Amino acid sequence: MDLLTRILFTILGLFIIVNWGLLMTAIMRKLTARVGRRVGIRWYQPWINLVKLYSNRNSIQHGVMFQLGPVFRLLGGVGIVMFMPLIYGSELFSNFSFAGDLVIILYIKFFGMLGMALGAGEGGHPYSAIGVSRGLSQVTTVELPFTLAIIALAVQYNTLSLEEIVAAQQGGIMNWTLFTNPVATLAALLSMLGIFMHSPFNLHKAPNEIPIGPPTEYHSSYLGILRTNAAILHVIEAILFMNLFFGGATSWPILIVKTFLIYFVSIFVGVVFPRFRIEQSVSWFLRVPLALGIVAIILIL
Amino acid sequence: MEQIGLSHIAITTGILLILTGLWGILTQKNIIKMIIGFSLFDTGIHIVMVGVGYVEGKTAPILDEAVQLKEAARQIVDPLPQAMVLTAIVIGIGITALMLAYALRLYQKNKTLDIQKFNDLKW
Amino acid sequence: MVEPIYIVASGLGIAFLLGLFRKTGESLPGLIMLLTLAFMTFVSGQWLISLMFEGGTPQYTYTAGFKPPFSINLLMGQSEAVITTMVNGVGLLGGLYLLDRLKAQGVNSMIVFLLLFVGLNVVVMTRDLFNLFVFLEVSSVAIVGLVLLERSTQSLSAGFKYLLATALISGILLIGIILIYQYAGSLYIDDLVRANLTAVKGGMVAVFLILIAVALELKPFPANGWGLDLYQGAHPGLGALVSGGFATAMVFVLYKLLPMAGGGWQYMMATLGAVTFIGSNLLGIKQGHAKRLLGYSSVGQIGLLMIVVGLSQHLGEALTAIACGLLVSHFLAKSGLFWLAGIIQKDGLRDWAVLRKKPFLLVLFGTFIFALVGFPPFPSFFAKWELIMQLSAAEGFAWAGIVLFGSLLEGIYLFRWLGYSIKLDHQELPSFRLPWQKILPVGISGVALYILGYFATPIASGAGSLSYLPLAFIVLVFLLDFLPARVKNVLSLAGMAFYGYMIMPGLYENDGLRFLFSIIFVIGGILTLLPGFAYTGKRRGFYPAALLMFAGLGQLLTAETLLQFFFAWELMTVGSYILIIRGKRSMRHGYTYMLFSVGGAFLMLAGFGIAYATSGMTSLEALGQVTQWAGWASALIAIGFMTKTATLGLHIWLPGAHAEAESDVSPMVSAILLKAGVFGLLLLFISMGAESAGSKPLFYVLGWLGAITALIANLTAVFQEDAKRLLAYSSIGQLGYILFAFAIMTHVGWLAGFTYTINHFMYKAILFLVVGGIVMRLKTHNMYEMGGLIKRMPYSFIAVLIGIIALSGLPPLSGFAGKWLFYNAGIEKGWYLQGGVVFFSGIIAFLYLYRLIHSVFLGQLKDRHRTVKEISPWFLVPAYVLILGIMAFSANPEWFLKPFGQITAPYFPDSQLTWQSDGTAVGQLGYWNGTQVMAIVMALFVAITLWLIMLNRNAKKVKQFNIVYAAESPETPETTHISYNLYAGYNKALGVLTRPGITGLWNWISEAVTELADQVRRIYSGNGQTYVLHVLTYVVIVYLITTGGL
Repeated sequence: MDLLTRILFTILGLFIIVNWGLLMTAIMRKLTARVGRRVGIRWYQPWINLVKLYSNRNSIQHGVMFQLGPVFRLLGGVGIVMFMPLIYGSELFSNFSFAGDLVIILYIKFFGMLGMALGAGEGGHPYSAIGVSRGLSQVTTVELPFTLAIIALAVQYNTLSLEEIVAAQQGGIMNWTLFTNPVATLAALLSMLGIFMHSPFNLHKAPNEIPIGPPTEYHSSYLGILRTNAAILHVIEAILFMNLFFGGATSWPILIVKTFLIYFVSIFVGVVFPRFRIEQSVSWFLRVPLALGIVAIILIL
Repeated sequence: MEQIGLSHIAITTGILLILTGLWGILTQKNIIKMIIGFSLFDTGIHIVMVGVGYVEGKTAPILDEAVQLKEAARQIVDPLPQAMVLTAIVIGIGITALMLAYALRLYQKNKTLDIQKFNDLKW
Repeated sequence: MVEPIYIVASGLGIAFLLGLFRKTGESLPGLIMLLTLAFMTFVSGQWLISLMFEGGTPQYTYTAGFKPPFSINLLMGQSEAVITTMVNGVGLLGGLYLLDRLKAQGVNSMIVFLLLFVGLNVVVMTRDLFNLFVFLEVSSVAIVGLVLLERSTQSLSAGFKYLLATALISGILLIGIILIYQYAGSLYIDDLVRANLTAVKGGMVAVFLILIAVALELKPFPANGWGLDLYQGAHPGLGALVSGGFATAMVFVLYKLLPMAGGGWQYMMATLGAVTFIGSNLLGIKQGHAKRLLGYSSVGQIGLLMIVVGLSQHLGEALTAIACGLLVSHFLAKSGLFWLAGIIQKDGLRDWAVLRKKPFLLVLFGTFIFALVGFPPFPSFFAKWELIMQLSAAEGFAWAGIVLFGSLLEGIYLFRWLGYSIKLDHQELPSFRLPWQKILPVGISGVALYILGYFATPIASGAGSLSYLPLAFIVLVFLLDFLPARVKNVLSLAGMAFYGYMIMPGLYENDGLRFLFSIIFVIGGILTLLPGFAYTGKRRGFYPAALLMFAGLGQLLTAETLLQFFFAWELMTVGSYILIIRGKRSMRHGYTYMLFSVGGAFLMLAGFGIAYATSGMTSLEALGQVTQWAGWASALIAIGFMTKTATLGLHIWLPGAHAEAESDVSPMVSAILLKAGVFGLLLLFISMGAESAGSKPLFYVLGWLGAITALIANLTAVFQEDAKRLLAYSSIGQLGYILFAFAIMTHVGWLAGFTYTINHFMYKAILFLVVGGIVMRLKTHNMYEMGGLIKRMPYSFIAVLIGIIALSGLPPLSGFAGKWLFYNAGIEKGWYLQGGVVFFSGIIAFLYLYRLIHSVFLGQLKDRHRTVKEISPWFLVPAYVLILGIMAFSANPEWFLKPFGQITAPYFPDSQLTWQSDGTAVGQLGYWNGTQVMAIVMALFVAITLWLIMLNRNAKKVKQFNIVYAAESPETPETTHISYNLYAGYNKALGVLTRPGITGLWNWISEAVTELADQVRRIYSGNGQTYVLHVLTYVVIVYLITTGGL
C-alpha cells in the first residue's frame, strides 16, 4: 500500500474518531445531567462550540510556547491515533502501527500532556500552574497499576505488539483478556478512571476552584484545538483499552459500541463519587489498583 | 635446693628498690619525690644488673696481685655487666640531672611542683 | 668512599669542638653545625647510591680492632643507608629550619642538636644491643633537651612527662639487655638472632622486655600520651625531628631486633601496630589542635609500619620497597606538615585557612595530605597498593582490611583539615612571615615526594608502562597558573584534543566499549571546557584540577593492569575533589565526596587484592580469573564503583557536590565523571562473564538497588527548590536506571544501558550547562526566584526543552530508545516488579522536569530580570553541539544502537536485537522504527503548526499580566508565579519516602564515631603519672597476652 492511501485512510479514521468523540461527549454530558435532574445540552452542542471557537476573530497570545502548547497537545492525541491499529484485520485502518509497538503509544501520550503543561505555563496564569501540578502528580500513580497490567499482558501474550495482542483475543468472548487475565484487567480499569480524569479524579481542572485548570488562558481556536484533542483522546484511549482487554474491534460499529461502554464506566463512577483532593487521589492509586497490579505480576512470575 | 648466695640477695634488693621506685613515681605528687623515685628505680636496676653478672666464688675483674694474668679468665667474673652498669649509672645520672633541671624550670615558672598542676595538654 | 664511622666521628667531634665557640657569636657555630649535618647526609647518601645502584657491598666497621662479640660494630647495609640518609636529611633540613631558634638559645643547643643525630645514626647502624641502648638514651635526652627551645609551661611539662616515660622505658630495656646477656652470653645482634632465645623461659622474658621497650619508644596507642603531649607542646621544628627522625630510626630498630623473636611475636608486634594504627587515627577524628593532630597521625603511621615490620615474613621481597615507600612518604609529609605548622603558627585546624594567603603553601599542604593518605603519584600509593596485594596473596585479608580501615579513618580528619584550609574565610587572620630557611625545607619535602613517587612506581606489581606524560602536561599547566584563564583554557583544550588524538583512534580500532567511553570522557571534556571562556581572571587551580580529572578518566580507558586502573581512578578522584570543592559553599560537600571516594577506592583495592591473590595476575583480566571468594571480590569492587555512581545509600555526597560546584564544573562532574563508575561496573560485569549461579544474586540485588535508587532519587528531585540540586538528584536517578539496565545482563539490557549512558551524558550536560549559565547571570540557584525567562533567554529555553524531552523519554527523541529497550529487556528478563518501579520513577521525572522548565522559563518574569541577557554563548555552543548529537541519535537510532550491539555481542551472543532492512529494530517482544517515528511526528508537528498559524495569524501578542484575573491585573510577579512548593499535594502523599533517612544514618554513624573518639581520648588525662601507669599496664597486658596468660 502506498503512502498516500495510508495517509488518506488515517485521516478518514481520524475524522470518524473526532466526530464519534464529540458525539460521545455530548451523550455522556446528557446522561450526567439527567442523573442530576437537569435537562442537559443538545446532542450537537459540541459541534456548535467548535465552530464558534474556530471562527473567533479576536485572539491574543502570550508567546511562542503558549502557541505551541495546543500543537503539542494535539500532536499527542493524533500521535496515538497514528500508531494505533483501529480495526483488527483491516490493513487500511491499522494506520502507522508498523513503526512502533505498544510502548510508543504509552509514551507519546505524555507528549500531549507535556505540551499542554508548557503552553499553560507560558500563559502565566496561576491557576494553570496549579492545575498542571495536580494533573502531573496524579498521572504518576495512575500510570503505575496500568503499566503493571500491561507488563502482565506482554508476558501473557509474549509480545508488545498491539496487533498481536488483539489477534490473540479473537475467537470468542472467553478469549478476551478480561476473562483470561481478570486481575490485570481490573487493575487497568481502575487506572483508567484516572486516565480519563473524570470525577473523582478531576482536581486538575476542579471546575469550581480553578475554573478549568491548565487551559485557563486559552480561548478561540487554541481552545478549539484543545477541545478537538479531548474528543480524540476520549475515543482513542478507550480504543487502547478495547484492544488490550476487550478483544479489539473487527468493524467500526463494534468499535463504537465497545468504546462507548468503556468510556461509560468512567462517567458512571464520576457521577457516583465526589472529587478527591490531590493527595487522596495520588495515594488511592497506590492502594487497591497497585495491589491488583502487583497481584497480576505475581501471577505471571 | 641451692644455697642463697650473694647474688640472690642483690637481685632481691634490686627488685625491691625497683618496685619502691615505681611506687614513688606513681603515687607521689611532688615532682622532686618522683625524681627520687626514679633514682631508686634506676639504682635497683643497676643492682639487679650487678647481681645477674656476679658469679659465686670469683673475684673482681681487676688485674692485680690477687689475679694472675694466665688464670684471669677462670678467676674473675665477666667484666661486661659491670662495664654496662658503669655506663648505665652515668646515663641515669644524666637523666636525673635533666629531670631536676626541668623541675627547677617548672617551679620557676609556676611556683609549684605538683605534677597534677601540669595537665594543660591532654586528650 | 667515606667510611660510615665518620658520620659518627664528625658529629661527635664537631659537637665537642662547638664548645670552643661559645664566645664567637652564634652564626659561625650554626654554619658549622649545618655543614656537619650536610657532611653526615653526604656520607650516608653516598653509601645509599653505592649500595642501591652501583652494586656496592655492605660494610662492617669494627671498633678497637676486635671482632664481635668482643667489640661494638657498625653495619652500613642497604637499609641502614636508606634510613641514615633519611635521618640525616631531616637533620640537615630541620637544622636549617630551626637555625634562628638554635642561635637564640646559644651554642649548647647546637651541640645537643648534633648529638641527637649522632645518637640516631648509631642507633640505626649499630649491631650491639648495649650500644644501641646508650645511644638511644643520648637521642632521648637530646630530644628532651631540645624541648627547651620553647620555654612555655606547656612545653616544659610535656618535656618532663616525656622524660619520665622514656626513663621508665629505658629501665625496661636495660633489664632486658642484662637478661639477654645472662642467657645468650652476647649482645651482638647477629648472635642473638641465631641463638633462638625464646626457647627458654627466661630468654623469652628478656626478648619480650627488649621488644616491648622498642615498641614503647614508637609510642603505641594507648600508652602514648607522653608522646602526644610532646608533639603538641614542643616547638613544631622539634616535632618534625621526632616524627621524621627519631620515629624513623626506631622503626628500623624494631625491624632489626624483631628477628630475635619467633613468628608468634611478629604477629604480636603487628597486632600492636594495628591497634595503634586504628586507635590513633580514630582519636584524631575529634582532635582540633593542629600539632596534636599531627602527633596522632604520626603515631598512626608508625603503627602502620609496625604492621608491615611485624608481617614481614609474608611480604617477601616486596618488604623493603613497601616499608621504604610508606616510611619515606610519612617522613617527608609529616616533617613538612610540622614545619608548616611552625611557619603559620596556628594551632586551630580552622585557622589553617591562613595558608591561602600564600597559595603555594596550600599546594604543599595538599601534597602532604594526599601523600599521607596514599594517593598517586606519591610513594605511599605504590607502597600501600603492594602491601595490600602481598597481604592478600598471603591470604591476610583481615590485615588488609585493618590497613584500609585505618587509612580511611586517617582520611577522615586529614581531608576535613584540607577542606578547612581550602574553604574557610581567611580575611580576618593575620599574615605571617616567610623566611627562606623555613620555606626551603618544606619545599624540598614537597618536591621530593613527587620525584620519589615517580621513582617508586616500580614498587607496585603491575605498574608496567604507567604513563606520566599527561601528568607532566598538568605540571606544565600548573606552572603557568599565573596566566589568564583564557590562555590556560586554550592550552587545556589543545592538550585534551591531543590526548584524544593519541588514544581515540587506537580504541576505535580495538575496543568499542572503551571507544564509547572515550567519546564521553574526551569529547565531553572538550565540550565542557569551552564554557571556561566565559570566565575572566585567572581561575587559579581550576585547570590543573580539571586536566587531572580528565587525565584520570582517559587513563582508565588505557589501563591494562589493575594498578594502572587504580592509579587512574585515584588521579580522577583528586582532580574532581579539587574541582568540586572550588564551589562557594562546597566545603562540606567536597569533604563528603572525598570520604566516599576514599572509602570506595579502598573497597576496590580490597577486591583487587582478592583478584590478584587468587589469579596471580596483575592485568585487568585478573578480575575474570578469580577462583576463590569471587563473590566477595565482585561485591567489594562493585560497591567501590557504586560510590562513584551514587547508588542509593552511597549517594549522599552527590547532590551538594554537584549543586554547589561552579557552573562549568557541574556538567563535568555530572555528565562525565559519573560515567567512570559506570565504566568500572561494566569492566567488572564483563570480567565476571555471563550470569552464573554464583553471581546471580549479586545482579539481582544490583537490579533492585538500581530501581530503588531511581525511584527515591527522582522523587526527591521533585521537591527541590534549587535548580542544580534538582538536576543532581535527577542524575542519581538516571544512574539508577543505568545500573538497573546493566544488571539485567542480557544483550538488550546492555543496549538499554548504553543508550541511557550516552543519553544521560548528552542531556545532563545540556541541562547543567544551560542552568549553570543562568545561575551565572542571575546569581541564584532557587527556581522560585526565576520565572518567565523564555522572553529573555529563548535559546536556553529551546536547549532545555529538548533536554527534558530527551530525558523524559518521549518519542521521537533519543530518550525513547532507552525506554523501549528497557521494556523489552525487563520483560524478557522477568524483572517485572523492578521494571515497574523503574517505570514509576520515569513518570515521576515528568514532575521535576516540568518544575524545572516552568519555574525557570515560563510563568511570570521577575522585575529585576527584565533586562537580563541571554546566557553566555560559551555555555550555549556546547549545549547545541550536544543537541545535534541527540537529534542524530533520535533520527537514526541504528547509527548508535548497532555499534552498541557490536560491543555487546561478544559477551551476550544470544537474543540479540535484529534490524530489518528499513531500520526497524525487532526484539523478542516488540518492534520500533525510530526513523519512521521521527518522520511521522515531525510531519504531524509541521502540519498542525501550519494549521494553527493559519487559524491564529491575527493573534495579538499581549503584555505580561494581561491574563484572566477577575478583570484585574496581578500586582507582582512573585505572587503570580506559582513555583515555590509546587507539588505540595504530592509531597503530602509521597513525601514521606524522601525523608533523608540515609543521610540521617550516615550522620548518626559519623556522630557515633566522633563521640567514641571523644570518649576514648579522655584516657590521655594530661597527668604524667597516668602516662607512666599506662606504660606499665601496657607492658603487663601485652606480656600476659603473649605468654597466653590472658
